Amino acid sequence: MATTLRLYLTCIRNTLEAAMCLQNFPCQEVERHNKPEVELKTSPELLLNPVLICRNEAEKCLIETSINSIRISLKVKQADELENILAKKFLRFLSMRAESFQVLRRKPVQGYDISFLITNYHCEDMHKHKLIDFIVQFMEDIDKEISELKLSVNTRGRLVATEFLKQFI
Amino acid sequence: MAFFNRVSPALVEILNKLQSGESLTDFDHNLYEYGSVRYNIQASASSPQIVNLSTWMPPLSPEFSSDCLPDCALQDVKRVYLDSAEVVEPSKQGYMLTLRIDFAELPQRKEDRMKAISEISSLHAVILSSQMKDMLWNLEPRYMGNGMCNPIKIVHQLKEPFFVIKMLEKTTVIYPMRFKDDTDVILATSFFQELVDVSNLEAHYKAPRCTWSPIPPLELRGEPFQYLTTNGGFVSLEIFSQHIRGTKADNTVWNLLTFVSYVKYHVKQCTRGFIQRKMRQRQESLTEVIRSARIRGDEDVKKHQIGGHKNVKKLMNFSRSKMFKKRYTIITNKIKKFHYRIKIKWLLHRFRRQWLRVQKIPLLRKYRKLD
Repeated sequence: MATTLRLYLTCIRNTLEAAMCLQNFPCQEVERHNKPEVELKTSPELLLNPVLICRNEAEKCLIETSINSIRISLKVKQADELENILAKKFLRFLSMRAESFQVLRRKPVQGYDISFLITNYHCEDMHKHKLIDFIVQFMEDIDKEISELKLSVNTRGRLVATEFLKQFI
Repeated sequence: MAFFNRVSPALVEILNKLQSGESLTDFDHNLYEYGSVRYNIQASASSPQIVNLSTWMPPLSPEFSSDCLPDCALQDVKRVYLDSAEVVEPSKQGYMLTLRIDFAELPQRKEDRMKAISEISSLHAVILSSQMKDMLWNLEPRYMGNGMCNPIKIVHQLKEPFFVIKMLEKTTVIYPMRFKDDTDVILATSFFQELVDVSNLEAHYKAPRCTWSPIPPLELRGEPFQYLTTNGGFVSLEIFSQHIRGTKADNTVWNLLTFVSYVKYHVKQCTRGFIQRKMRQRQESLTEVIRSARIRGDEDVKKHQIGGHKNVKKLMNFSRSKMFKKRYTIITNKIKKFHYRIKIKWLLHRFRRQWLRVQKIPLLRKYRKLD
């Protein structure tokens, strides 16, 4: 299981390293405007082919690139209902605090759980390799956190149930 | 959390205030708790040591009257409060029970006095527990035609009924669980599964056996549809005679009465609060990673890291002296303004007189008056 995760993350890392070649490009349609072309998708010549990397049916990563921006959308593994609500709550919590992450999108792309939008300005402010490290670490941490939360919820439930039944003994 | 407490904190506060003699006037106070329990506390200035405490609460089951206390509960109240209070008959109009408390008869020692007041303040728990005990012990099992027992509906806090099915060997208590939020339903379902697992362990063979089912159990099949529609399933607890023997009876009964509140407290406060804390910690750790990715921020951190302790000290000293200088300049500027205020006005006035005076321009055209 760990091997497939490693391969999946390595594939995403290599794709991001190739895709994250961004430069400043003012908007062709409105003068004095500078917009991330990957969001607007008005000029097909500025867009590159999107890449979809699937680990399995439940986990996938969509990387859409353009001349001045890149959008990364992630679908996180959710095995059961509890993991489903934990993932939903956690990712919504992070999306609401997107300003502290700068590259995080407030609303995920449809069909995915969370999305990042990286523009040329972010590449100028931050190291490219560290940005990629952040994305990969984010994916690892999300999986780890959801598993830990699920375990903690079940452990707490067990402790509470034990304490409740002890009162009858 | 207040639901699990047998003692009413508001009553404790009021009775402590009265017994300390703080209020010297007539006292007539109405108190409401849990949406349905009413108290009335009366004391007169002429005899401040005597307090009348009246209470009314909805009965647990429709079989009990709502106007007066059932006999079993009355006997229990008299037994519990034999030393500390006296039951007044008939009770005050509109209330099912009135207790007369004489503070002079309470123990003199402070701790014993506090304990007696706490016992009086748990009047609500005593009445409900006695009604529940009566149902568990004394009511005959009522068999329906097919050999099943008729369930007894009990409505306690939160106005959500649960059912007691009395049989010869055991008593089954069934809780239909309802939650407002889907997240609560999933968290509660995982909790119920843990509860069932723990109750089946050998270490807890003496505890009541718990089962959970998403569909109504067989015992409730004849009940109205509104009581059988739930989103959290049905939790059943099987109580045997060993659980209601001797001193355990009060505890068992109170736990059964507050089970729904206990589950909702665990789901809402504990689990959701815990999840929120963990998410916040993880968010902070992820934010640190993105902050370290900044180019400028990283360089500044590196500069100050080289040289170690001395440079950090210099940095601190630099910032402190800068702050002092800034404050000094603000104060001196204020002083200057205060001193120069008049002079500046005078200066401006002189400037205006000298340079801003409009000069008379001689007319180019001259008019000669015609005669």
